Amino acid sequence: MWGQALGKIAQTLVVLFVVSVASFGLLKLAPGDPIQIMLGSEFSQEAYDSLTAELGLDQPFLAQYADWAVRFVQGDWGTSYVARTDIFTYAFKEALPVTLTLASFSLAFAILIGVPLGVLSAVKKDTAFDAGAAVLALTGTAFPSFLLGILLIWFFAVKMQLFPVMGYVSPWQDFWGGIYHMILPGLTLSTYFIAMITRLTRATLIEVMEQPYIAAARARGEPSWRVIWVHGVRNIAMPLVTILGLQLGVLLQGTVLTETVFNLPGIGQMLTSAVLGREYMVVQAGVMMTATLFIGVNLLVDLSYPFLDPRLRARK
Amino acid sequence: MKKVDHKKVLAERLSARFGRRAVLKGMGAGLLTAAASTGAPGIARAQQSGHLRIASIKVIDTLDPHFTGFLSAIQIINNIHNGLLKIAYDGTNVTFEPDLAETWDLEDEKTHVFKLRDGVMFHDGTPCNAEAVKFSLLRVKEGEPKSPHAWKLALLDEVEIVDDLTFKLHFSQPYAFLPVALNGSTGRAGTIVSPAAVQKYGADYGRNPVGTGPFKFVSWRENDAIELEANTEYFEEGMPKLERVTFVLMNEASTALAALMAGQIDGMTDCPMQLVDQVDAFPNATLYGEIEGNYTYVGMNCARAPFDDINLRRAVAWALDRETLVKQAYFGRAQQAYTPISPPMTDFFDPDIATSGRGQWFDLEKAKEFRAKAANQGEVEVTYMMAERGPVGTRVAQTVAPMLAQIGIKANLELIEPAAWVKRRNEGDFDLYDFEWVADLDPDETLYPEFRSDGAWNFGKWVNTDFDDLCAQAQVVLEPEARKELYYKAEDLLMDEAAIAIMAHMPIYKVFSNKVQGFEYIPADLVNLHTVSLA
Repeated sequence: MWGQALGKIAQTLVVLFVVSVASFGLLKLAPGDPIQIMLGSEFSQEAYDSLTAELGLDQPFLAQYADWAVRFVQGDWGTSYVARTDIFTYAFKEALPVTLTLASFSLAFAILIGVPLGVLSAVKKDTAFDAGAAVLALTGTAFPSFLLGILLIWFFAVKMQLFPVMGYVSPWQDFWGGIYHMILPGLTLSTYFIAMITRLTRATLIEVMEQPYIAAARARGEPSWRVIWVHGVRNIAMPLVTILGLQLGVLLQGTVLTETVFNLPGIGQMLTSAVLGREYMVVQAGVMMTATLFIGVNLLVDLSYPFLDPRLRARK
Repeated sequence: MKKVDHKKVLAERLSARFGRRAVLKGMGAGLLTAAASTGAPGIARAQQSGHLRIASIKVIDTLDPHFTGFLSAIQIINNIHNGLLKIAYDGTNVTFEPDLAETWDLEDEKTHVFKLRDGVMFHDGTPCNAEAVKFSLLRVKEGEPKSPHAWKLALLDEVEIVDDLTFKLHFSQPYAFLPVALNGSTGRAGTIVSPAAVQKYGADYGRNPVGTGPFKFVSWRENDAIELEANTEYFEEGMPKLERVTFVLMNEASTALAALMAGQIDGMTDCPMQLVDQVDAFPNATLYGEIEGNYTYVGMNCARAPFDDINLRRAVAWALDRETLVKQAYFGRAQQAYTPISPPMTDFFDPDIATSGRGQWFDLEKAKEFRAKAANQGEVEVTYMMAERGPVGTRVAQTVAPMLAQIGIKANLELIEPAAWVKRRNEGDFDLYDFEWVADLDPDETLYPEFRSDGAWNFGKWVNTDFDDLCAQAQVVLEPEARKELYYKAEDLLMDEAAIAIMAHMPIYKVFSNKVQGFEYIPADLVNLHTVSLA
């Protein structure tokens, strides 16, 4: 297993290298120039040349990339062109925790709401409840998250004044305040996943409930809640973890819009403004972090299988 | 040549521009006297209270006044720094009044003598004296890297320090634009920064600004908030009234409005036109906004076919139905423009311009006449580049295209990303585009750099040396009436040759909840908070 893990890590490094070259190159190829954006309308050629040289943007592409890559690996992520902010602090210490908090909350919502809903739909298969849950799930997948976010804001924050409209409070500093600020954005981002998990849980559980060991458990006279929640639900862990790992990319994409609507200073907002401002090094930092996160989580998913399914452990 | 009494002319001109309230106490005795020269340190101060949270929706690039290109940044910078002069507004007239300067005198029409307020300190405890002013002005004029505002002080020959608080500015020629250049907002060049802080932070000054203003910089969290706190040593007595100010950095204006309605924030530094109706309908907030010093236009590429044809350009200029544009593209909020000079340019704007016969307006018959004279009588197909940028995004392009179809011009709307749009505009790679020049308070800055034959901002590459000469002459004429005549002639050339098709002057809005009191609106997109308090 460890040999496999090392292989995965080597693979990861190659993927990260390819991702970094691709994103650096693509952004450079895109028309637009950070200095022109930075100078706004009141630019002069002298100011342009002087700033371009100052920021090293007059260097050839490969030199810029190599310079960035060498420093990045050493932990020096550079300084953003316009705001002169330290990118490591901005991206890693400030933006990343916000996005991780948002993503964790959404995942938690998705599992806490999606799994029970799916289980109940499976148990009450072909009833009105099942049909209702199916409609909800379909709506959830079809509804654009930013629109839902705006609707939630208008209803729960403006009309009812139950939740804050926007903003981020770190749950590490103020636990309840953090949760309070995360409820609406977490819910917005999780709708798609709630729907997906509900459908997945329902389908898997219906299949599981037809297995002989469930019949055996029932024959032993175990109460029906135990049959479902202990013997049944345990078996949906593997497909669930697999799907969540693969869908992490979708979740990270979703943070862009959710962070914009709820004004959360996370990676999504950071990447949006960095791409629009052609902040090459900030984009690189964001892409490298999300790529690492995505690969890392999928690595963990792979490694988690033996823990979730004893049969895979035995095979070793 | 007639002998000109420079001092008299300048005195008249300054009195006209600096507000009739400023009393002239004879020549040489200080043309300007600050309202009341308080400002001795250690004076008993007003107690500050309250924490104002205000949404800032546009991009903030840097808080370094000498390098920013964004008005949203100046809104914050202007609360941290002061200029030698400041912009004042009494509801009708825009004037320039002393801020850090206490008096302003003239030795001759090219030599200006300033005396600073006594005892003013930067937030880092260093004194704001003649040396500091010289440092700031030279940083703009010849610092490295080059400031984008250097051109505003290009005519400055020398800064001569007389004593600790007195200095002389020697110019190579009389400089009528100086009052705008020396104020702390749209001038930027005249904003005074702490030399010690610039030396300490270098290129990172924009993240650690140190000025003399009513508020001190505390922190800037990216995409989150910029925090300021009261400067208890501020030189204007009884100010500021607030203890803390947070500029909440936001990308989404509708979220900001929701937060305002829910009471989570107290105001917005900018309210996009499409949200104004909603704010009007909301009883707990007040909208501030008037037509400001700006103009919008459809720009044509005069350097290449088909718009190198003056008659085709004229046809476009007369074919745009401004009334429809104001209604559909500008939410009925803008004012039809006839020429670039805009209402806040008090001494230069003609309130009766609509009936004066000057400028451009909608006249389809006239447009068709010009179209008939154009070289290309077939259908002309052109590219109109647009982006989700500016105050109304792509609405102008979409409204203009059918108007052009009426005169046989097929405009292919091409939607591109804002950064690409800027690049193509600067490189002159377009047929048509629409743009706006904003926050101008003097005809010089609204006309000359934009349309000078070799000007870097002259994206349409319109060339007319008579226009250049008129603007250059007007720069050194100090008497407003004579200056106005020159600018009117220059504008007439620009409008007649249709380098652009002018559209509208826009209102710029700010919103504050009704708890916020004492906000003084200035039509230069400023959010000065020193007079603001929270009920």
